[in-house]
Amino acid sequence: MQAANRREQKVVTRERLVNAATALFARKGIAETTTADVARSVRMSHGVVFLHFPRRDDLVIAVIDEFGRRLAAEFRQAFEQDFGLRAVLQAHLRVLAEFEPFYARLVTEAPMLPPKVRSTLMMLHAAVSARMFTALERDRKAGRARRFERPLLFNTWIGLVHHYLVNRDVFATGDSVIAEQGEALVNHFMTLVKP
Amino acid sequence: MAERCPACGSCGMPMEKPEDYALGDVTRPYCRFCTDARGELLPYEQVLETNARFYVESQGVTSAAATAMARAMLADMPAWRNRH
Repeated sequence: MQAANRREQKVVTRERLVNAATALFARKGIAETTTADVARSVRMSHGVVFLHFPRRDDLVIAVIDEFGRRLAAEFRQAFEQDFGLRAVLQAHLRVLAEFEPFYARLVTEAPMLPPKVRSTLMMLHAAVSARMFTALERDRKAGRARRFERPLLFNTWIGLVHHYLVNRDVFATGDSVIAEQGEALVNHFMTLVKP
Repeated sequence: MAERCPACGSCGMPMEKPEDYALGDVTRPYCRFCTDARGELLPYEQVLETNARFYVESQGVTSAAATAMARAMLADMPAWRNRH
């Protein structure tokens, strides 16, 4: 019983740290945030943070993993309802909107971040690319899309989305560029893949 | 937060469904891509190559960049962290 409580407590603490880190990374920037900052923001000792995340990069990867898990859940739902490319793009944007301030920082700083962090982000991209390509092939067989090379299909989409995210201050009047521009981006992309 | 699912101890791939696991057995620590027909973990070089190919095929990065990224991904994984 006590062991179960300890395990539960550990999960709760980990979640608090990941949430706090997500907010701090978004506000201060990833490179500028330290594990000590995270400890201070949740009023925990640095030792507790160290126990869960020995390096700052472990925290960044934990947030990216959380993003990945949300994405996998959304994709699963999108695939159950409509196995088309539009549904995949919409699912991608829904999760991006949830993580938008953090994700915008992440893609802005990505080339300067340590290899493990960058590799984790690129692996997430690889998973999105695979889903997009599978959905496009379905649409293509149904006569709703034309052929695309897989890397360019993904890179065209992510290039477009990242441009709006990195420059979100000039493309949105409110807090979320995805909320304001997302639908237009999906519509535009779907015209590009039309046969 | 989303419910956590186990990840492959070799490549980190989330294992959501039984078919994601080696031999479809959810008690196994590795995914189907990192194991052979008997469910045994593949050699490091082979796992590295599979992961690198995933980067190349999905995003068109160079083969050297893909290998470097795959190496960085595998470095901390339970299956490989003590390999040297």
